[in-house]
Amino acid sequence: MNKTGKRNFQLPINGSNIVLLFAIIGVTIIFTSINKNLFSYQNLINILIAASLTGLVAIGHTYLIIAGLNDLSSGSLAAFSGVMAALFVSNLGMNFWLALFLTIIIAAIIGVFNTWMVCGIKLDPFIATLVTQAILRGFAYILNNGKAVPVSNETFITLGKARFLTIPLTVWILIIGYIVFGFILAKTKFGRSVYAIGGNKIAARLAGLSPKKIILTCYMMMGALCAIGGIILAARMNSGQPSACVNLEFDSITGVILGGVSFSGGVGNMGGTILGVLLIQAFNTGLTMVGVQSFWQYVARGALLLIALAIDYLRKRNREKRLIADSMKNL
Amino acid sequence: MSIYNVLKSMNSKTMTNFLKEEANVENVLEFQNISKYFPGVKALDDVSFHINSGEVMAFIGENGAGKSTLLKILNGDYQPSSGKYLINGQEKHFKEPREAIEAGISVIYQERQILMDLTVAENIFLGRLPAGRFGKINIKEANRRTQEIIDDFGLDMRPTDYAKDLSIAYQQLVEIMKAYSRDNLKIIAFDEPTASLSDSEIDRLFHIIRKLKSEGKIIIYVSHRMKEIQQIADKLAIFKDGKYVGTYGLNEISSEEMIRKMVGRDLGDIYDNLDKNKEIGDILLEVKHLKTDYVKDVSFTLHKGEILGFSGLVGAGRTETVRGIIGADRLLDGEIYLEGKRIHNRSPKDAMKNGIVLVPEDRKTQGILDNFDVGKNITIGSIDINSNRFGILNKKKEKRMIEKGISEFRIKTPNAEKKITELSGGNQQKAIVARWMATKPKVLILDEPTKGIDVGAKSEFYNMICEFAKQGLGIILISSEMPELLGLSDRIIVMKSREISGEIPVKDASEEKLLKLAMIGGDLNE
Repeated sequence: MNKTGKRNFQLPINGSNIVLLFAIIGVTIIFTSINKNLFSYQNLINILIAASLTGLVAIGHTYLIIAGLNDLSSGSLAAFSGVMAALFVSNLGMNFWLALFLTIIIAAIIGVFNTWMVCGIKLDPFIATLVTQAILRGFAYILNNGKAVPVSNETFITLGKARFLTIPLTVWILIIGYIVFGFILAKTKFGRSVYAIGGNKIAARLAGLSPKKIILTCYMMMGALCAIGGIILAARMNSGQPSACVNLEFDSITGVILGGVSFSGGVGNMGGTILGVLLIQAFNTGLTMVGVQSFWQYVARGALLLIALAIDYLRKRNREKRLIADSMKNL
Repeated sequence: MSIYNVLKSMNSKTMTNFLKEEANVENVLEFQNISKYFPGVKALDDVSFHINSGEVMAFIGENGAGKSTLLKILNGDYQPSSGKYLINGQEKHFKEPREAIEAGISVIYQERQILMDLTVAENIFLGRLPAGRFGKINIKEANRRTQEIIDDFGLDMRPTDYAKDLSIAYQQLVEIMKAYSRDNLKIIAFDEPTASLSDSEIDRLFHIIRKLKSEGKIIIYVSHRMKEIQQIADKLAIFKDGKYVGTYGLNEISSEEMIRKMVGRDLGDIYDNLDKNKEIGDILLEVKHLKTDYVKDVSFTLHKGEILGFSGLVGAGRTETVRGIIGADRLLDGEIYLEGKRIHNRSPKDAMKNGIVLVPEDRKTQGILDNFDVGKNITIGSIDINSNRFGILNKKKEKRMIEKGISEFRIKTPNAEKKITELSGGNQQKAIVARWMATKPKVLILDEPTKGIDVGAKSEFYNMICEFAKQGLGIILISSEMPELLGLSDRIIVMKSREISGEIPVKDASEEKLLKLAMIGGDLNE
């Protein structure tokens, strides 16, 4: 498949990503044909704004799932972070930047806790982060007795409204996030290590890597990303909402898997995740725009995740089949 | 065939026992054009032959020749990629071991598969304990029937003994009794059954095998031990590199001829022509009283340019010793000195930084990263060397390292972007060695480096290992293949029951001596 010649320059888009691109276009066309407003500039921006929260979390999920891990606590953590940052600013009168910094630190420490459960007491990442999911949602409510925390701090609110070159700041944050984390994943020692432990943790350890440190970094990174996402949402809504971001991890994981990250770890890239997140966001927005009842939207999302997993399974099976066919030829 | 059908239709215990003793039930097992492919490996290549009842057929061949794969196909563990097998003329497709067992096929493996917390009787009748009304288990009946089998076998144990209290040999015999207790047993295969048995226990096993033979069972006996094969086998099926070479009567073929057919060349040549390092230098590595959860008190030294062999039976603690040295297992006690300086390896990463690296035993689960291409598999140990202080990888540096690795270690691959799993086992192993040599180690530990790779690649490996020794590396070679150890090592350490039971310079060593140390231990001069 690959040629030996010069292939130094590589687009972040490969074969399966092109399929995704067409899927996005397809979804957009279908929904637009039902509701003409969908394709409007304002709606595209809305999709991007909505994608900016899922998108940030999906960066973390890309790293985690490639490393053979997972995180179900991201939605709770984002809500918890939003409420906490709002409390810092509104009730404690803290400077916005200090509040942002503190929230990120606390969220990263929760990443340490997740790592301890996964590496220390060897819980399955799914179960471990289910624990944090419940606890953090609880704390999001406890922080202000279940009430939302209104925000009046100007810097905070500006974050949700400001635009640069007509594109909202939150979207810029997402774009910068993808460039930075995409680069780290593809071009650095750390990125390579993430793929290695996702492929074979035991072999990676024997090859001189430190799986625990890599896992710790991934979970802390995820914590920080959730915090930023939660704060952005709070800024957009002018308040920290304890009930926000339910199912955030669901959309994020679906997007990541649609984007070609293998659920069994070791395979995938950031380019795919961008497209996967855009697809699921276009899908969600489209469903709402064409007036599908929200109950049915749950069913549709579940179906979409099933499709994503089925595609992942087929891709994997094809790889294996091709491998065996190749072996037979070579021998 | 007809008797078999009668037997099957009657299905009465007394009648079965009667037939077992009185009649020669004719069984025929036939393999037709069986092939089995794994990614990168052709484990079996168009194998066809048949085995008749009442004879002991030994499967012989080198490691990786395909013997075990064929057994695994027979007991439903693997599905053949092509071809079929027939029992008494009927084609069979066992999708899982349970189906094979129900059809009367038992494979006895080296690793015992009995449950330690159950009694002998419970193990033997597991899943089919005689039960009375309301499903209440009739343990008395099970014990009575177990006692019958024990008497049949002439063993000294009770049905109520717990498996964990039995010796390893007896645990293995329980497994054989379990197979024997099934009324419809037709085929029984032994995969290296004597690895952990003493001489008298082997005699007892052979007695039982002869009894099974007289009852018309088909018996397959897989072993590396020539002496035993000559004692028990009637015929030999020889395998080489996944191919069936032929079946020979025991008396039709000499040992030398047998080995030549197994390897396709004189094994002696491979080792005789090796250009071994003759200048052994100062002490490089010194291990003092190493203790982990898995080994007790191991001490030895390794010199520059020396190849130090580690011999011993499976489970003797060789792998565990080197895992302790590189920090893969936690050290409970002991000291490690490299070039006179004390070092502490808390993880394989520390060991690598100190210049001690391990090419692990199981390439598939511990060596290769199956999601990476050949190139990235080579460079994964060197990402620190190949990246700048911000952790950004230097692609050019990496590429140079990959090209050097592929050409120096003669890895046969169309390009560096080829998935590692698409390469043959030998070439995968070369890539792992290249990974480690790129880190410029001082001590190279090889754990069963030639397991499952073909003879051609093996001799390439041997030359490579000798070349490393000449460069002044200290090499620890763990191997279960004695000719390999004897041919390559300068000195051999033998381990038994998690400690060192002896050390011999290679000029004084022989397979018998190594085996004696591995099994009995003690002083050679006694």
